[in-house]
Amino acid sequence: MEKAKKKKNAVSNKPLSARLYTYRWFYLMFVPVLVFLFVFNFWPLAGLRYMFYSYPDADNIVWVGMENFKRLFGEKMFWTSFVNTLELSLVKLLLNTFMAVIISLLLNEMVNVIFKKVTQTIIYLPHFMSWVVTASVFTLILSYSNAGLVNSVLENLGIIVDGEEIKFLESTEWWRFTYYLINIWKDTGWGTIIFLATLSGISPELYEAAQIDGANRWQRMRWITFPSLANTIITVLILNLAKIMNLFESVFVLTNNQVTDVSQVLQTYVYDMTFGSGADYGFSTAVGFFRSVVGCLLVIVCNYASKKVRGRGIV
Amino acid sequence: MRKTFKKLLAMALAATMVVSMAACGGDEGTTGNATPTTPATSGSENAGTTEKKDLDKLTIMVDGTVQFANPAHGGKQFEAELEKLMGIDVEIIMPDHSSYYSTVSQTFANPDKSYWPDIVLMGSTYYVQYAQNGILVDVTDMWNNSEIKASGRVTNPQIFEDSMINGRLYGIAPARGNGCVTYVKKTWLERAGYSLNDLPKTYAEYTEMLDAFAQLSPEGYALTSSGLVNLEAPYTNYLPEFFWNAYPDFYQTESGEWVDGFTQPEMYDALERLADGVANGWIDPEFSTNQTSDCRNKFYADKCGVFTYWAGTWASNLEENLALIGSPSELVALEPIAELGNYIERYAPMWVITSACENPEQAFDLFFGTMLDGAEGQSLWTYGVEDLHWSTKGETITTGTGRKAKSITYADGEFHFRADLETGVSLYNKNHIDPMLAVVAMADGKDVGVNAIEESAVNSANLFYANSVSAPKMVSNDAMYKYYSTVMAARIMLVELVASGEYSIEDAMARYQNEQGANVKAILDSLNK
Repeated sequence: MEKAKKKKNAVSNKPLSARLYTYRWFYLMFVPVLVFLFVFNFWPLAGLRYMFYSYPDADNIVWVGMENFKRLFGEKMFWTSFVNTLELSLVKLLLNTFMAVIISLLLNEMVNVIFKKVTQTIIYLPHFMSWVVTASVFTLILSYSNAGLVNSVLENLGIIVDGEEIKFLESTEWWRFTYYLINIWKDTGWGTIIFLATLSGISPELYEAAQIDGANRWQRMRWITFPSLANTIITVLILNLAKIMNLFESVFVLTNNQVTDVSQVLQTYVYDMTFGSGADYGFSTAVGFFRSVVGCLLVIVCNYASKKVRGRGIV
Repeated sequence: MRKTFKKLLAMALAATMVVSMAACGGDEGTTGNATPTTPATSGSENAGTTEKKDLDKLTIMVDGTVQFANPAHGGKQFEAELEKLMGIDVEIIMPDHSSYYSTVSQTFANPDKSYWPDIVLMGSTYYVQYAQNGILVDVTDMWNNSEIKASGRVTNPQIFEDSMINGRLYGIAPARGNGCVTYVKKTWLERAGYSLNDLPKTYAEYTEMLDAFAQLSPEGYALTSSGLVNLEAPYTNYLPEFFWNAYPDFYQTESGEWVDGFTQPEMYDALERLADGVANGWIDPEFSTNQTSDCRNKFYADKCGVFTYWAGTWASNLEENLALIGSPSELVALEPIAELGNYIERYAPMWVITSACENPEQAFDLFFGTMLDGAEGQSLWTYGVEDLHWSTKGETITTGTGRKAKSITYADGEFHFRADLETGVSLYNKNHIDPMLAVVAMADGKDVGVNAIEESAVNSANLFYANSVSAPKMVSNDAMYKYYSTVMAARIMLVELVASGEYSIEDAMARYQNEQGANVKAILDSLNK
């Protein structure tokens, strides 16, 4: 043991060049990753300087200082997008996590293995469907006209009457509810994987002991399953919290002009400002930078929370 | 050690930033303001001192309206024919049609001009913006000195006048802009008790017809539309009967003053009509989520009886597609109702030469000299490649398969289009230039397809041109560039919110004033300066 420790120290006391030589093959293997990081992560950072420019096209790049930020903070749609981003992401995160926990618990209670596996496979499948396809399918199903499946069913059940079909995707009142529902359908199954893994790791002896002590099914869940899952739930929440500013694709394919007030998020705002007519890359870079700063802050907060809860950070 | 490594990494990153900034700095230094430039003109002035390099290749960026540039429709053969006629290597870049302008905008944002195409097809909004920004070549002198202009074949010189910005021309439109007319299904008219002699002529009569159609519709609406206000001028294309003379954009009054059409009294009335239209089941309530293709499919599927769409070739396309699925296909194009007066013709899409082109004069001669040569080149851009897209050989063409198969036999020497190479279900009817819209005529005896145009297409085009006016002139300046997309997005959103009943007209206008008032003022101040 002592010998091994000495050997390790001996290596670390070598000069840098010697250590580089010793681990040259590791460094060589690391080169592709380093190049990738540099080209796709670090090099594009240089483009951040454009937030201080007006940049409609490459022939007209003009220094404007903080003008883009002044304009940004004065735009009502920017603040609407910011608030929407936080609201949609947080509610989606909480709902998806909650539903994933519930479904994991239900799956865990299944005794028929074949049925359990089939159910798991079915609920994983929507995760692999692209958002474009998902949006097209749900737009048809939730169609406002009487050809829409959901409205037809509701009408036939007498829940709504003809002419009062629900505008699931076209009204500000219903859009968010529909959005959360589609997200739950698409991602809950996938989200159960981590919780099922945790549940399968709980020692059966705990349940046996509780059963012997006379605990019923609810008590076993209350006092064994939930506490065992708590750490995983917090971990999943914290890890996903750091990514809430990245909301884009699901909103982009489901939004329309009537629901902009409740659906516009920062990423779709950046998209509109970048690819709409009269696009100014300087302005959209400023919006993107703001989003990144908030995202960074969230990562720091989550890292801190993670250290407190799990004893180790996420970065 | 760890500190040293961090220092090295930080230095490397800093160096990267400095190098990348320096690399782009050259462009900024030379183009540090937004004053329009005229590269070709200045190039011509220096022609005596600077010899321009001959082009060895011409790169052309096109959208989906150049149908035969698409590889699925014989793009390779089209490109080869172009190369043969122009005597130069040609590279056609065809981005996805729906994201075309995103690609164009990203291309022009690239400081490395070697990635810019020499020639680009662009709509009027972008034409005005890019010309203003100085990245399109001024082709005024080239056009004025061109053989095409001197040929006497220009049938619509006005279009070149209309395309000028501050008296200079930055692109060429080979065809008129076209516009939309309202098509009504003849069977629906008959079912609603109408004859061709009592077609609606006023808004009251029109809405009466829509009322009757809404009762006939399995979906409960009479007409379908993709959005209520379009992104491209003239904006009111798809629902002209509801807008009348309201124009949701900036325009110049007779006194020369620029006003915001969105806040004019006519717009208030139009908003009321649109809200009525949705509430009464005249307009498809899914206007917000409809794509144009959804609307066409709903029309084909007989879910509605009215559809306002492009005049000319699209009239025969619509009829042909209705016939293909076995629906009664006869359509009636309505004359504009009295309150509307005229349909509006949009500004024609322009072919422009970019400032990245090393020899704009040569590109102009090669490209436009072929496209508008009045002979083989113009045929290629109008009808496509001989014996691939069209032919004059005697043959039998079969479209569709199985029970839907249909064969037509053509005599030797008879011009005819061939079957769609991708689907085979229908015949082609044009390449890029719609022969009915061409602004430069073919030379005598050179128009091979002159008799091949469907009667319904001719009728619809004639009706449109007899009853249309040009869209208000477009302008661009720094303020427009900065605020226009935000203002337009707000207008589109508010119109849809009013029509769907979520906002009252007063609330919508109050919100518009509150949120966009400053932007609108900045634009109007700049225009009226």
